[in-house]
Amino acid sequence: MSPSLILTLHALLFLLLFSVCLFGFIIIRRLVLERSQALFRRVYGQIEKDVLEAIYRLDPDFSLAVARKHKGRASVLTQVLLDFGDNIVGDGRDQLRIIFNHSVKDHCLRRLESRRTAKRLQGIRLFIIFFDPSENAFLFRLLDDKPIIKLAVITALSRFPSAETLSYIFTAFEKDTGFTVQSYFNVMFSLGDRIEQPVKTCMMRPLPVDKLGLFVELIGAIPLRNLAEEVVALAGHPDKEIRIRVARTLGKLLIPEAADTLVRLASDEAWEVKAQAVKSLGKLKNMGALDILTKSLFSPFWYVRYNAGHGLAEMGEEGLRRLRKVARQEEDKYARDMSEMVLDDLICPGEAA
Amino acid sequence: MSDMLQLLLHAFNILILAYFFLINAFYLLFIVLSLFGLFRHRELTRYVSFKEVFRLPLVKPISIIAPAHDEEKTIVESVRALLSLEYPVFEVIVVNDGSSDGTLDKLIRSFELERSRWVFRKVVAHQPVKGIYKSRAYPKLVVVDKVNGKKADALNAGLNISRYPLFCAVDSDSLLEKDALLKMVRPFLEDPDKTVAAGGIIRLANGCTVKGGQVLEVRLPRNTLARFQIIEYFRAFLGGRIGLGMLKSMLIVSGAFGLFRKDVALQCGGYRTGTIGEDMDLIVRMRRHLHNMKRPYEIRFIPDPICWTEAPETLRTLSRQRNRWHRGLLDTLLYNKVMLFNPRYGITGLFAMPFYFVFEMLGPFIELLGYIIFAVCIALGLLNHWFAVLFFLVAVVLGTLLSLLSLLLGEYSSERYPRLQDVLILTLYSLFENILYRQWLTFVRVIAFFDFYRGKEEWGAMHKKGFAQAG
Repeated sequence: MSPSLILTLHALLFLLLFSVCLFGFIIIRRLVLERSQALFRRVYGQIEKDVLEAIYRLDPDFSLAVARKHKGRASVLTQVLLDFGDNIVGDGRDQLRIIFNHSVKDHCLRRLESRRTAKRLQGIRLFIIFFDPSENAFLFRLLDDKPIIKLAVITALSRFPSAETLSYIFTAFEKDTGFTVQSYFNVMFSLGDRIEQPVKTCMMRPLPVDKLGLFVELIGAIPLRNLAEEVVALAGHPDKEIRIRVARTLGKLLIPEAADTLVRLASDEAWEVKAQAVKSLGKLKNMGALDILTKSLFSPFWYVRYNAGHGLAEMGEEGLRRLRKVARQEEDKYARDMSEMVLDDLICPGEAA
Repeated sequence: MSDMLQLLLHAFNILILAYFFLINAFYLLFIVLSLFGLFRHRELTRYVSFKEVFRLPLVKPISIIAPAHDEEKTIVESVRALLSLEYPVFEVIVVNDGSSDGTLDKLIRSFELERSRWVFRKVVAHQPVKGIYKSRAYPKLVVVDKVNGKKADALNAGLNISRYPLFCAVDSDSLLEKDALLKMVRPFLEDPDKTVAAGGIIRLANGCTVKGGQVLEVRLPRNTLARFQIIEYFRAFLGGRIGLGMLKSMLIVSGAFGLFRKDVALQCGGYRTGTIGEDMDLIVRMRRHLHNMKRPYEIRFIPDPICWTEAPETLRTLSRQRNRWHRGLLDTLLYNKVMLFNPRYGITGLFAMPFYFVFEMLGPFIELLGYIIFAVCIALGLLNHWFAVLFFLVAVVLGTLLSLLSLLLGEYSSERYPRLQDVLILTLYSLFENILYRQWLTFVRVIAFFDFYRGKEEWGAMHKKGFAQAG
């Protein structure tokens, strides 16, 4: 036999063996998974029954007994606690906490030390649910972990907003870069008006545009009306993105005093800022803005015309009267068509852009 | 003369062997990378509830653009599925691209549409719009009736009419899973500045039970061709695109389901109407444009948002589809040939484009040449018969192994088929796929090459059964 023939034969045998093993692995994995899932479901059912009884009885001794009974089934118990923990509040959660503290807490702590991100994440998730503020220090150590772990810790901390935890959250936010920055928005949003002071303090310091923009957006989303002045002060910011967000946020804050700023922004050099400003002016329903909205209907930019049209429609009878007037004129067919479309839209409404 | 012929055949043999080893090495590399990518994605999303995305105040609204041409059998079900998607703010723009059947009438009747005085910006060119329809009952729905201009033209019309900063291009004969948009939008929330496009998994609905625009039960189809295509899709999406995505070399976001940033698509001039491979063409031009502008960007492949589509079940329809795909690939690569081996375009110019050029575009030719030379060598007695048989078997088993590895990836993702016997059937099909089916596809793609040079621009009618009857 020639060497090439021997080589090919060996390659064929190797590939064949590999394929058969792979096929066997897929089948065996399926069978094992199906079996373990059936077992998991059975054990889950037993634990679920006991946990439900503990929540019903509200007896710490019974909860303790449940914890001891199922301590050896840590992974299933962890799953049950994760599933129940998110949905049970009040006294029931206290019973869950007893079960957690006396069964899987050590297991969970070991998970937090694990080298595998997924295990650390699951550990943190449980900590988020059954978080004890006295363990703050333990979680603070994890703030130097990977961004995803850090974010999970921040989320845990946000459940117990003390001055100390807020300070940690905002310090982490200022230091952090990359994709998690956006995620802080959700954490801070969930804290509501508690973050008013830290946001104000942060905004006094020089911040990169993405973080500043996020704060402006946050002020509108919560909304934090006491920080309207800080937002108005950014109306002249050189970055277009910030000005767009200022215009949007002022529309959400619905503060009549912001009308002048919005009127100014409605004449901004960037059409995106104009479009957002006229939309917000419509929401404010400030009659003083009728002229600028009517003028904006003649803008060369579709979005400005569209938002101006809808802004006028929101102004009530006078706004509608102006829309009808523009719809009747023939000098600017773009303004006419947009007015007709907005009037038509009022009959056949869509969602505002 | 005989020596010359032998030398030539020997050189060809080496070329073909090198091609064979290289392409399989790349596919193996992609599968290994995909496995890592899949594990990483699973780890990161295991504890994330996508329902939470629904509540986020910063979530960006999406315009779903669904071009439709002669789709009366599936259009109503598809639009209902699109309207029932779970996402905070979205609009559905169905573009009836000059259908000659009852597509528009069915839409008007089913969704109580009324003609609207909708005005829009004509940022990108397209064939004239005959009318825009809206519905009192379904305020999210906009139907555009326009003169036929093919899919890219219809998508351009949809782009002009859309109002939101992200747009999702979908085939109107496809079904999106309810949470597909929530999953797909994730990279746009995590990194809104860099992410410009994202693609998801396409699966075949043939054989599955579909009700109310949703796949209720996942089953294998009875049709042989559809089963072969299931293995191909597994390889392409799980084995290929995740791996290519990890190498930042993904050049295609499927036209059946892709999410894009509208401003970037418009900066590139929207879809190029002269091409039939509009999905790949847009991604390549986006990459070209962003590289030229020196703007950092990401095009992501997300392995879990699922779009279901119907696979062709006859040789004739399948050959038309593959012919079109290959002509689209040729057109895109040649149109953007300036990027080939060009270091200015980074990994796209130095790896992605050359990979598609050599292995996807020229691949069928090299493969066909391989079969011919193989036959010639055997006929001339230049090749040991045993070697020929063994080499053919190596090729078949290697092909099967790659398919099995893709099935393994499916096992680790949510894309697996539930019954154990399905794995057995798919394994058998992945073995037989390498005999005749693969060779036939090579032939179809070679024909596509000549069709392209003859200037054929036909889309090729795709006769579909509709989801209820498929399988």
